[in-house]
Amino acid sequence: MTNLGYFMAAYIIVWIGVFIYLFGLQRSQNRLKKELESLKKILEEKG
Amino acid sequence: MQRNSLEKILIGITFLSLMASLYAIFFYAPLEATMGLVQKVWYFHLASAWVTFLAYAVVFVAGILYLSRKKRCFDILGYSSAGIGVVFNTLVLVTGSIWAKPIWGTWWTWDSRLSTTLILWLMYIAYLMLRTSSGEDSKGARLAAVFGIVAFIDVPIVYMSIRWWRTIHPLVFKSKGTEVDPAMLTTLLISLVAFTLLYLCLLRQRIALEHLKDELERVKEKIRR
Repeated sequence: MTNLGYFMAAYIIVWIGVFIYLFGLQRSQNRLKKELESLKKILEEKG
Repeated sequence: MQRNSLEKILIGITFLSLMASLYAIFFYAPLEATMGLVQKVWYFHLASAWVTFLAYAVVFVAGILYLSRKKRCFDILGYSSAGIGVVFNTLVLVTGSIWAKPIWGTWWTWDSRLSTTLILWLMYIAYLMLRTSSGEDSKGARLAAVFGIVAFIDVPIVYMSIRWWRTIHPLVFKSKGTEVDPAMLTTLLISLVAFTLLYLCLLRQRIALEHLKDELERVKEKIRR
Protein backbone atom coordinates (compact mmCIF):
# COMPACT_ATOMS: atom_id res chain seq x y z
CA MET A 1 0.00 0.00 0.00
CA THR A 2 1.24 3.53 -0.76
CA ASN A 3 1.38 6.45 1.68
CA LEU A 4 -1.83 7.75 0.08
CA GLY A 5 -3.47 4.37 0.71
CA TYR A 6 -2.60 4.39 4.43
CA PHE A 7 -3.70 8.03 4.73
CA MET A 8 -7.06 7.39 3.06
CA ALA A 9 -7.61 4.16 5.03
CA ALA A 10 -7.11 6.01 8.34
CA TYR A 11 -9.54 8.81 7.47
CA ILE A 12 -12.18 6.47 6.04
CA ILE A 13 -12.01 4.26 9.16
CA VAL A 14 -12.40 7.29 11.48
CA TRP A 15 -15.45 8.57 9.59
CA ILE A 16 -17.04 5.13 9.24
CA GLY A 17 -16.43 4.49 12.95
CA VAL A 18 -18.07 7.75 14.00
CA PHE A 19 -21.01 7.32 11.61
CA ILE A 20 -21.66 3.71 12.66
CA TYR A 21 -21.74 4.82 16.30
CA LEU A 22 -24.02 7.78 15.53
CA PHE A 23 -26.29 5.61 13.36
CA GLY A 24 -26.47 3.00 16.12
CA LEU A 25 -27.47 5.68 18.66
CA GLN A 26 -30.18 7.05 16.36
CA ARG A 27 -31.54 3.56 15.66
CA SER A 28 -31.70 2.70 19.36
CA GLN A 29 -33.40 6.04 20.11
CA ASN A 30 -36.03 5.47 17.41
CA ARG A 31 -36.67 1.91 18.59
CA LEU A 32 -37.06 3.02 22.21
CA LYS A 33 -39.34 5.93 21.22
CA LYS A 34 -41.63 3.55 19.28
CA GLU A 35 -41.69 1.10 22.21
CA LEU A 36 -42.45 3.94 24.61
CA GLU A 37 -45.32 5.20 22.47
CA SER A 38 -46.90 1.74 22.24
CA LEU A 39 -46.52 1.18 25.99
CA LYS A 40 -48.07 4.59 26.73
CA LYS A 41 -51.05 3.60 24.58
CA ILE A 42 -51.44 0.35 26.56
CA LEU A 43 -51.27 2.36 29.77
CA GLU A 44 -53.97 4.77 28.53
CA GLU A 45 -56.21 1.85 27.53
CA LYS A 46 -55.74 0.34 30.99
CA GLY A 47 -57.04 3.64 32.36
CA MET B 1 -33.66 29.79 23.69
CA GLN B 2 -35.19 26.32 23.45
CA ARG B 3 -33.15 23.18 24.12
CA ASN B 4 -33.77 21.85 20.60
CA SER B 5 -32.46 25.09 19.04
CA LEU B 6 -29.30 24.89 21.17
CA GLU B 7 -28.81 21.29 20.06
CA LYS B 8 -29.22 22.25 16.41
CA ILE B 9 -26.69 25.06 16.85
CA LEU B 10 -24.23 22.62 18.47
CA ILE B 11 -24.68 20.11 15.62
CA GLY B 12 -24.23 22.92 13.05
CA ILE B 13 -21.05 24.26 14.67
CA THR B 14 -19.69 20.71 14.99
CA PHE B 15 -20.34 20.00 11.31
CA LEU B 16 -18.69 23.28 10.24
CA SER B 17 -15.66 22.72 12.47
CA LEU B 18 -15.22 19.16 11.15
CA MET B 19 -15.34 20.50 7.58
CA ALA B 20 -12.83 23.21 8.56
CA SER B 21 -10.50 20.60 10.05
CA LEU B 22 -10.71 18.46 6.89
CA TYR B 23 -9.99 21.53 4.74
CA ALA B 24 -7.00 22.43 6.94
CA ILE B 25 -5.67 18.85 6.88
CA PHE B 26 -5.99 18.42 3.10
CA PHE B 27 -5.17 21.93 1.82
CA TYR B 28 -3.59 24.08 4.56
CA ALA B 29 -1.21 21.86 6.55
CA PRO B 30 2.13 21.36 4.78
CA LEU B 31 3.52 17.94 3.90
CA GLU B 32 5.98 16.62 6.46
CA ALA B 33 9.45 16.24 4.89
CA THR B 34 10.29 12.62 5.81
CA MET B 35 6.92 10.91 6.43
CA GLY B 36 4.99 12.61 3.64
CA LEU B 37 1.21 12.23 3.35
CA VAL B 38 0.85 9.54 6.04
CA GLN B 39 1.90 12.09 8.71
CA LYS B 40 -1.50 13.73 8.22
CA VAL B 41 -3.07 10.75 10.04
CA TRP B 42 -1.63 12.47 13.15
CA TYR B 43 -4.33 15.20 13.19
CA PHE B 44 -7.21 12.75 13.69
CA HIS B 45 -5.09 10.33 15.74
CA LEU B 46 -4.16 13.00 18.29
CA ALA B 47 -7.67 14.51 18.27
CA SER B 48 -9.13 11.04 18.96
CA ALA B 49 -6.61 10.56 21.79
CA TRP B 50 -7.63 13.92 23.28
CA VAL B 51 -11.34 12.96 23.19
CA THR B 52 -10.49 9.57 24.73
CA PHE B 53 -8.75 11.29 27.67
CA LEU B 54 -11.54 13.86 27.99
CA ALA B 55 -14.25 11.18 27.96
CA TYR B 56 -12.45 9.12 30.63
CA ALA B 57 -11.87 12.27 32.73
CA VAL B 58 -15.65 12.84 32.61
CA VAL B 59 -16.17 9.21 33.76
CA PHE B 60 -13.76 9.89 36.64
CA VAL B 61 -15.54 13.12 37.74
CA ALA B 62 -19.00 11.56 37.24
CA GLY B 63 -17.90 8.59 39.37
CA ILE B 64 -16.83 10.86 42.24
CA LEU B 65 -20.07 12.87 41.98
CA TYR B 66 -22.18 9.71 41.90
CA LEU B 67 -20.50 8.29 45.00
CA SER B 68 -20.90 11.56 46.91
CA ARG B 69 -24.41 12.57 45.76
CA LYS B 70 -25.99 9.23 44.66
CA LYS B 71 -27.81 10.86 41.76
CA ARG B 72 -28.72 8.74 38.72
CA CYS B 73 -27.74 11.57 36.31
CA PHE B 74 -24.06 11.15 37.26
CA ASP B 75 -24.26 7.40 36.68
CA ILE B 76 -25.76 8.09 33.22
CA LEU B 77 -23.08 10.70 32.50
CA GLY B 78 -20.24 8.30 33.40
CA TYR B 79 -21.69 5.36 31.49
CA SER B 80 -22.41 7.49 28.39
CA SER B 81 -18.99 9.10 28.39
CA ALA B 82 -17.22 5.74 28.81
CA GLY B 83 -19.01 4.39 25.72
CA ILE B 84 -17.84 7.32 23.61
CA GLY B 85 -14.35 7.08 25.13
CA VAL B 86 -14.06 3.44 24.04
CA VAL B 87 -15.12 4.35 20.47
CA PHE B 88 -12.40 7.03 20.22
CA ASN B 89 -9.87 4.83 22.03
CA THR B 90 -10.49 2.21 19.32
CA LEU B 91 -9.91 4.89 16.66
CA VAL B 92 -6.63 5.88 18.38
CA LEU B 93 -5.38 2.28 18.27
CA VAL B 94 -6.50 1.73 14.66
CA THR B 95 -5.17 5.04 13.23
CA GLY B 96 -1.92 4.61 15.19
CA SER B 97 -1.52 1.15 13.72
CA ILE B 98 -2.16 2.45 10.17
CA TRP B 99 0.45 5.18 10.71
CA ALA B 100 2.94 2.69 12.21
CA LYS B 101 2.93 0.26 9.27
CA PRO B 102 4.67 2.53 6.69
CA ILE B 103 6.76 4.40 9.31
CA TRP B 104 7.89 1.61 11.68
CA GLY B 105 7.34 -1.26 9.25
CA THR B 106 4.91 -3.03 11.60
CA TRP B 107 1.22 -2.74 12.53
CA TRP B 108 1.93 -3.26 16.22
CA THR B 109 4.83 -3.33 18.67
CA TRP B 110 4.78 -3.75 22.46
CA ASP B 111 5.97 -0.18 22.98
CA SER B 112 5.15 1.50 26.33
CA ARG B 113 2.69 4.01 24.78
CA LEU B 114 0.92 1.39 22.67
CA SER B 115 0.72 -1.15 25.49
CA THR B 116 -0.64 1.30 28.08
CA THR B 117 -3.22 2.57 25.53
CA LEU B 118 -4.34 -1.01 24.87
CA ILE B 119 -4.65 -1.60 28.63
CA LEU B 120 -6.71 1.61 28.89
CA TRP B 121 -9.04 0.36 26.15
CA LEU B 122 -9.46 -3.04 27.85
CA MET B 123 -10.16 -1.41 31.24
CA TYR B 124 -12.99 0.75 29.90
CA ILE B 125 -14.46 -2.19 27.97
CA ALA B 126 -14.50 -3.97 31.35
CA TYR B 127 -16.19 -0.88 32.86
CA LEU B 128 -18.89 -0.97 30.16
CA MET B 129 -19.43 -4.73 30.64
CA LEU B 130 -19.69 -4.25 34.40
CA ARG B 131 -22.14 -1.35 34.11
CA THR B 132 -24.25 -3.05 31.42
CA SER B 133 -24.54 -6.33 33.33
CA SER B 134 -25.59 -4.62 36.58
CA GLY B 135 -28.60 -2.89 34.93
CA GLU B 136 -30.50 -0.35 37.06
CA ASP B 137 -29.05 -1.75 40.26
CA SER B 138 -27.57 1.04 42.43
CA LYS B 139 -24.96 -1.37 43.84
CA GLY B 140 -23.77 -2.01 40.27
CA ALA B 141 -23.69 1.74 39.59
CA ARG B 142 -21.56 2.27 42.72
CA LEU B 143 -19.18 -0.52 41.70
CA ALA B 144 -18.91 0.94 38.18
CA ALA B 145 -18.24 4.42 39.61
CA VAL B 146 -15.37 3.04 41.73
CA PHE B 147 -14.05 1.12 38.71
CA GLY B 148 -14.22 4.28 36.56
CA ILE B 149 -12.25 6.24 39.16
CA VAL B 150 -9.57 3.55 39.53
CA ALA B 151 -9.29 2.96 35.75
CA PHE B 152 -8.54 6.66 35.23
CA ILE B 153 -5.13 6.08 36.87
CA ASP B 154 -4.00 4.68 33.50
CA VAL B 155 -4.69 7.98 31.66
CA PRO B 156 -1.69 9.90 33.14
CA ILE B 157 0.39 6.72 32.77
CA VAL B 158 -0.45 6.61 29.03
CA TYR B 159 0.44 10.31 28.71
CA MET B 160 3.72 10.01 30.64
CA SER B 161 4.75 6.59 29.27
CA ILE B 162 6.87 8.10 26.46
CA ARG B 163 8.64 10.32 29.01
CA TRP B 164 9.20 7.63 31.67
CA TRP B 165 10.21 4.61 29.56
CA ARG B 166 12.23 3.89 26.44
CA THR B 167 9.98 4.24 23.40
CA ILE B 168 9.87 4.58 19.63
CA HIS B 169 6.66 6.63 19.79
CA PRO B 170 7.21 10.28 18.71
CA LEU B 171 7.25 12.90 21.48
CA VAL B 172 5.71 16.03 19.93
CA PHE B 173 5.06 18.24 22.94
CA LYS B 174 8.14 18.54 25.12
CA SER B 175 8.58 20.49 28.36
CA LYS B 176 10.51 23.15 26.42
CA GLY B 177 7.66 23.58 23.92
CA THR B 178 7.19 22.13 20.45
CA GLU B 179 9.07 22.24 17.16
CA VAL B 180 5.93 21.67 15.11
CA ASP B 181 5.34 23.96 12.11
CA PRO B 182 2.81 26.75 13.01
CA ALA B 183 0.47 25.70 10.15
CA MET B 184 0.53 22.10 11.42
CA LEU B 185 -0.16 23.31 14.95
CA THR B 186 -3.12 25.44 13.77
CA THR B 187 -4.53 22.43 11.87
CA LEU B 188 -4.13 20.30 14.97
CA LEU B 189 -5.94 22.89 17.12
CA ILE B 190 -8.85 23.05 14.64
CA SER B 191 -9.08 19.23 14.73
CA LEU B 192 -9.02 19.23 18.54
CA VAL B 193 -11.88 21.77 18.69
CA ALA B 194 -13.88 19.84 16.05
CA PHE B 195 -13.46 16.52 17.88
CA THR B 196 -14.34 18.08 21.25
CA LEU B 197 -17.57 19.42 19.75
CA LEU B 198 -18.23 16.01 18.18
CA TYR B 199 -17.77 14.43 21.62
CA LEU B 200 -20.33 16.87 23.12
CA CYS B 201 -22.85 16.03 20.35
CA LEU B 202 -22.40 12.29 20.86
CA LEU B 203 -22.59 12.66 24.64
CA ARG B 204 -25.86 14.58 24.33
CA GLN B 205 -27.30 11.80 22.12
CA ARG B 206 -26.03 9.03 24.42
CA ILE B 207 -27.49 10.68 27.54
CA ALA B 208 -30.85 11.18 25.75
CA LEU B 209 -30.83 7.45 24.97
CA GLU B 210 -30.28 6.55 28.63
CA HIS B 211 -33.12 8.87 29.71
CA LEU B 212 -35.39 7.17 27.18
CA LYS B 213 -34.46 3.77 28.67
CA ASP B 214 -35.31 5.08 32.15
CA GLU B 215 -38.66 6.43 30.99
CA LEU B 216 -39.43 3.11 29.31
CA GLU B 217 -38.69 1.26 32.55
CA ARG B 218 -41.00 3.62 34.48
CA VAL B 219 -43.86 3.04 32.03
CA LYS B 220 -43.28 -0.74 32.13
CA GLU B 221 -43.43 -0.60 35.92
CA LYS B 222 -46.73 1.30 35.80
CA ILE B 223 -48.22 -1.34 33.46
CA ARG B 224 -47.08 -4.19 35.73
CA ARG B 225 -48.92 -2.66 38.73
